[in-house]
Amino acid sequence: MRAEVKEYNYDWMMGSITEAAAKLPAGSQKEADLSFRYIPYFRYALGALLETGPPGVQFLKMLSHYYKNITTAHDQGKKIVATTFCSTPLIFYAMGLVPLTFEVLTAVGAMVWKRGMFDYMDYGCEVGMPETSCSAQRGSLGAYLAGLGETIDFIVCDSPGVCDTNATAFAFAAEYLDKPFFQLNYPSTIGDERSQAYHVEDFKAMIGFLEKQTGKKFSYDRLESYLKEMEAQDAITADLEDMLLLVPTPIPPIYTLMIYAGRFCFAGHPEYTRMLEKLRNEAQKRMKAGVPGLKAGVERLRVLMCYIDHYTVDMNFYNYLEERGIANTGSILTRNFRDNNPYCQSLEGSCYGVDTSSPEAMLETVAQMNARLPMVRSIRGPYDQHGMWLDECLALARLYNADCIIYNGTSGCRNTWGMVKPFARDIEKQGIPVHIMYDDAFDDRVESWEASKERLDEFFTVRGLL
Amino acid sequence: MQVFKDVAARIQPQPLLDWKAQGKPVVGYTCSYLPAEIFHAVGILPLRLRGIETDGMDIGDVYFGPFICSFPKCLLQLVGKGMYKFIDGAIITPGCDSMRRLDECWRKAGEDYEGVLPGFYYYFDVPHKSEDHGMDWFIEEIEYLIAEVEGYFGVEVTDEKLRASIAEYNKGRRMLEAVESMRADINPVVSGADVFSATIAGSVMPRNEFTEQMAAWLEALEEKPPLDNVQKRVMLIGSISDDLELIKLIESQSGALVVSENLCFGVRGEGRPVDETGDPIKALADHYLGESICPRMYGKYKQRLALLKQKIEKARVDGVIMQNIRFCDLHGAENALFERDLEALGIPCLRVEREYGPMIDKGRLKLRINAFLERIGRRRARQVAG
Repeated sequence: MRAEVKEYNYDWMMGSITEAAAKLPAGSQKEADLSFRYIPYFRYALGALLETGPPGVQFLKMLSHYYKNITTAHDQGKKIVATTFCSTPLIFYAMGLVPLTFEVLTAVGAMVWKRGMFDYMDYGCEVGMPETSCSAQRGSLGAYLAGLGETIDFIVCDSPGVCDTNATAFAFAAEYLDKPFFQLNYPSTIGDERSQAYHVEDFKAMIGFLEKQTGKKFSYDRLESYLKEMEAQDAITADLEDMLLLVPTPIPPIYTLMIYAGRFCFAGHPEYTRMLEKLRNEAQKRMKAGVPGLKAGVERLRVLMCYIDHYTVDMNFYNYLEERGIANTGSILTRNFRDNNPYCQSLEGSCYGVDTSSPEAMLETVAQMNARLPMVRSIRGPYDQHGMWLDECLALARLYNADCIIYNGTSGCRNTWGMVKPFARDIEKQGIPVHIMYDDAFDDRVESWEASKERLDEFFTVRGLL
Repeated sequence: MQVFKDVAARIQPQPLLDWKAQGKPVVGYTCSYLPAEIFHAVGILPLRLRGIETDGMDIGDVYFGPFICSFPKCLLQLVGKGMYKFIDGAIITPGCDSMRRLDECWRKAGEDYEGVLPGFYYYFDVPHKSEDHGMDWFIEEIEYLIAEVEGYFGVEVTDEKLRASIAEYNKGRRMLEAVESMRADINPVVSGADVFSATIAGSVMPRNEFTEQMAAWLEALEEKPPLDNVQKRVMLIGSISDDLELIKLIESQSGALVVSENLCFGVRGEGRPVDETGDPIKALADHYLGESICPRMYGKYKQRLALLKQKIEKARVDGVIMQNIRFCDLHGAENALFERDLEALGIPCLRVEREYGPMIDKGRLKLRINAFLERIGRRRARQVAG
């Protein structure tokens, strides 16, 4: 790792950047213009967020708050739990913990810096993580392995059974940093009685682990308050999903990122509700005025990202969608599979409901919710099993009128690279064009964004889509 | 011994062909979590599927993406080429993500290549934890598998038959344990390549025949003089390997002998006997899941390290070669931790990445192994001088 990178505490640095960015609209135009001169590799990303108005500002405040929680956790007597994007932070908030999600932190760094998270990713390899491991974890994890972030107290992941690379990163971190570790493990099926019961048993074991680590008894009253807050969030998300159905949609491409990043950071927390409300207000205004979410004012194409978006330097990918007039109908990360969403009718048995009537009901709720988070729900078991990834993508593409489906992931994503070719073939048989991106969502060195862009253009041209 | 060498070197060895010639069924499986006794109990040959003898990847690459371990790709290649058309069933296990996706890729290849998808095709779901509900799940999986086997093959898997099979398998396990001790001896009488051939043979040839051959080999070994020129005692660990060439490559270097290993096709799963008393299904579950030391069982690194240390001590290992197949996340990451912890104890380690298959990177591997053996040699010389 370069010596200069080691000079800065990673969490403090990122927290400072997002805090300053969130304050920018409060200053004068002159101050803003001057600030933009100093952030040449972050200026489009910041500009794009600020252009969305109150939602973007609230998003930046939310990120700043997230980092502040991490950097002040120990001063407040709270423990930090490192976790993954496919595990809900709600349960950790209910336990009075501060969740730290590696993938979110990697994505933010990848978008903000010219060199992305390369230094930290490479440090992960220096200490032994394979270079073929998933960049989503390896980025920010590199900072913690190097001792450049806040001290993690323990680690919880829920990817075993779904994603080896993800789970391995957490298991590696636990051993390398010598921290207590717990894994939620998922069977290959979902929706059947047997797997539902397994989710609950596994979740009970996790609560036992959290109680042991914190020395506190789990509070169902606190869980109830977070679940009720999440009810409000889910209702707003469902409204946003409804508006995503419209052609043209009043939802800008960047909104989908804000929806899921917020959920990964603050599910069940009022901070996320505030941002969602602002997203809905702005989208509703555009909907009533009949204005598309795309800046150009014309929606030329609708894509479904069947896996994840692309996050490297300066939000290049979202800029690209805007430039080409392409509406983003969401990715695997966007959907929460709450039963009040429009797509749940097409995917019977795949969704979950919320019941706060008793501790048992709440436990069941949160266990089933966790089992339906991104990747955990869709990528478990065979992709062509009933209600799984293939059914899901076809249903979503039809429902949201997507003109094509694009696969984008990381080169560490063994579970999708293991079947994405036959998966794409099955979708094509249904008449929907599919493009497989061979890049890495968090690491431009695997394929430069310029090359990815050319391939996307080629796909849209050859298939007569644009 | 020769029969083991022949069996280990070929996808379709003679004992297997003889079995098929008698009209008896064969079921292939992909992972060490499958209790082979279930099949043995009802006269079905459980065959551990292998990827050797692959001469290209034109079929494997059609279905798998580029960032995938070459082991399942080689398996699929052989499937597509019709090399496994003789099997009556196949069982896919989620040993890792690359292997679990063999399920879909094989089925899709079955749409394109006639006759390559066997009539009995089953997904055996193995949890990543062996405590409480994890173990309950695994026991149920075994019960479901038995029901499916009974239904498809028209057989009955009784407790008595299972107990008899466990006893038969245990005979082989105990003999392998005995050979393992001979190999670990200060004056070993058996090469790593020979032991590895035997363990591979145990997973692909009719078990009773294997037991007989093992007994004869063990008897012969007891009369055998110690091997000459054993100067560098090596342990081999890491990703799945059934490739004898890798061990031969190590042992072809002057004075090197593989005196211990911890490999999926090796003694790792065969080393300890299954409990022969009580409920046989529970005994199988306790063995195959409960005693698993595969890195897919997350959070059990310390147990695995302890086992390695024990083996290193027993076999007086001078150095550990840790190999991982490219894109093998499980062993790739864990090897780094082993290297850190074993080097801290003064045990030299070599961490090396490779491809599964026809040893395409033999030259590079040889160079690295040579350099490592030189390091061990110098260290040994210093110890002798000191």
